[in-house]
Amino acid sequence: MAQGGKNLTSNIQEKAKETLGKITRRQLIELDTCSHCALCTEKCPAYNESKNVLHAPGVRTSQMVKLYDKKYGFWTRLFGEKEITQKEIDELAESTFHCSLCGRCMESCPFGFQTHELWVMARELVDSLEATPENVTRLADLMDENMNPYGLEPDTRLDWSFFTDLDDAPELDEAEVAYFVGCTTAYKGANHEVAFAICSILENQGENWTLLGEDEWCCGAPSIMAGKEEEAKQYAEHNVELLESKKVKRVITGCAGCYRMLKFEYPSMIGRKPDFEVLHAVQYLHEQLTTGKLEVKKGNEKIIYHDPCELGRLGGIIREPREALQHITTELLEFDEHGYDSKCCGGGGLLQAVDNEMRLNIVKEKLDEAVAKGAEMLVSACPACKLAFVDGVREFKHEIEVYDIHELIAKRLGVLD
Amino acid sequence: MNGMVSSLYTFFVETLPYITIAVFAIGMILRVQRWLSASKDHHNPEMDFLESIKYIILDVMLFRKTYKRDKVTWLLVFAFHGSIGGILFGHMRGFHLWSASIFDPFGHWMAEFMIHTLPVYMGWLLIVTTFLLLVRRFRLEDKQLSSLTNDYIALILLLIAAIVGQGMRLFPPETVPTEIYDVVFIPRYIVLHLEVVPSYHWFHWHVLMTQLFVIYTPFSKFIHVLTGIITPAIYGSRRKELDI
Repeated sequence: MAQGGKNLTSNIQEKAKETLGKITRRQLIELDTCSHCALCTEKCPAYNESKNVLHAPGVRTSQMVKLYDKKYGFWTRLFGEKEITQKEIDELAESTFHCSLCGRCMESCPFGFQTHELWVMARELVDSLEATPENVTRLADLMDENMNPYGLEPDTRLDWSFFTDLDDAPELDEAEVAYFVGCTTAYKGANHEVAFAICSILENQGENWTLLGEDEWCCGAPSIMAGKEEEAKQYAEHNVELLESKKVKRVITGCAGCYRMLKFEYPSMIGRKPDFEVLHAVQYLHEQLTTGKLEVKKGNEKIIYHDPCELGRLGGIIREPREALQHITTELLEFDEHGYDSKCCGGGGLLQAVDNEMRLNIVKEKLDEAVAKGAEMLVSACPACKLAFVDGVREFKHEIEVYDIHELIAKRLGVLD
Repeated sequence: MNGMVSSLYTFFVETLPYITIAVFAIGMILRVQRWLSASKDHHNPEMDFLESIKYIILDVMLFRKTYKRDKVTWLLVFAFHGSIGGILFGHMRGFHLWSASIFDPFGHWMAEFMIHTLPVYMGWLLIVTTFLLLVRRFRLEDKQLSSLTNDYIALILLLIAAIVGQGMRLFPPETVPTEIYDVVFIPRYIVLHLEVVPSYHWFHWHVLMTQLFVIYTPFSKFIHVLTGIITPAIYGSRRKELDI
């Protein structure tokens, strides 16, 4: 009988051992180096919200190294493996999924651990231990059925265009540019205008561009977040094959999560660099604005910009959105912690599926600060962030408008009301 | 002096150093073997030498990120690591890696201060900061962190080594046999030469504790002294790759 009161099947122990065996050399060095100093804890949005020690990032490294040593430690090699207990599994699951995968702990860690990758590995471990939270498991099942995490039919992927003025969404066999819409933009009403805005900008700039329509699959980020990296590879392979079949030179996406997947994860997942360049739409926007190919009227609204974690800290795009916004307003404000140090909005890491109350309380902090700074508009460049802010404004009744940067530009161009 | 204590002390300075070196070497081999037996990485960025050095200096040596977050904690960790660095540097003189003459250009007073006065202050600083770090860990335990047993053992071992080391300096020396003035770890290569007669008992316990410290390093969190160079180097290179 394992300590913790419940006997785990040897099958789970074996699966756990197999997954622990996937921990890479660098990750193991990071786990061995972690001094459990708690310097990351104070900046963790999840911990700050709950004050639950299990949600502290450093605690997760303690849990992971304990489990690793039970299967691969020095004493294990001499005297045999130890069983992972149900209590350990439950605590790891609680810890791992109460995290927005924002990577902020990496920016507090003196050793610069690549925590985002460590926590993804922890989720894979939890998945192998069959302890993934029910809502996340359901979401992963929906992905399998419909190629999107929202459980909607693939043929409704372009329905957003019916609700906008995009009468004839182009789906070409070949094009120079492909717009990868992403599931949260395509299926969530609050983001339909973001898709329309990006399409309008591409149209306005005379690009030879196409949508992927119902053939577009999820980028695979939710699978990775659910601890199913192997499944995410199928999405990567499908999307790359589709985009390459259209001979596109550039893939533009307005979603920070899709951007990071397409740009940084796909090459390692498919084992080669795809034959196209990946841009976030804000990079395209920046390129068009700074080269004078796109001109918009400058206003004086007080706009505050929120860096999406996957775009800024984890994607390196910090300067471009600010320079683009400076073409729109003379009054660009900043959060106290911004750029690569930006505080998460709570919209990532499938936190909504696990603990929506925590997500809303995290977003409230950002909204409170934006309002306190006198911002009239809160602007981001990620549909998940926009969704979190829209939900937060509705929940807490803040007096602030929430936009995606592309919507603002489209409004200035007069193509969006 | 009791014959048993005398033999124990002889063991500390004549036999234990060989065991220390052997256990440390075996421990490091096991540790490296542990890392090498893990899966290969696929996501590592191309290493950039200048960025790696930059992040090692800024983040690990100067604790830049901690400074930005919390000045009091920064002062504590910086003073702790700074005092360890200073004390280790001072010990290197005993191993003849540098000589007191490097301070000659700054005058007699400076040489005296650097060789005899500053080390005592460094010792106090190490004791106080190690104690405060232990208190901090204890206070945050189960609130913000979850320590492994070796997190505590490492700090306690260091604290004891620092206390007996300080005692060795502060308590008056007894008459000691001349042969203990050299502690031989590897004959001709790693030999500690003592130029001042230390307090006999405190000295031997300090020799024991520091050797336990070295023995424990490969198996404990002390390993971060070595690996703390690798991880910020990868982090710096990654940021360079992302153009942040």
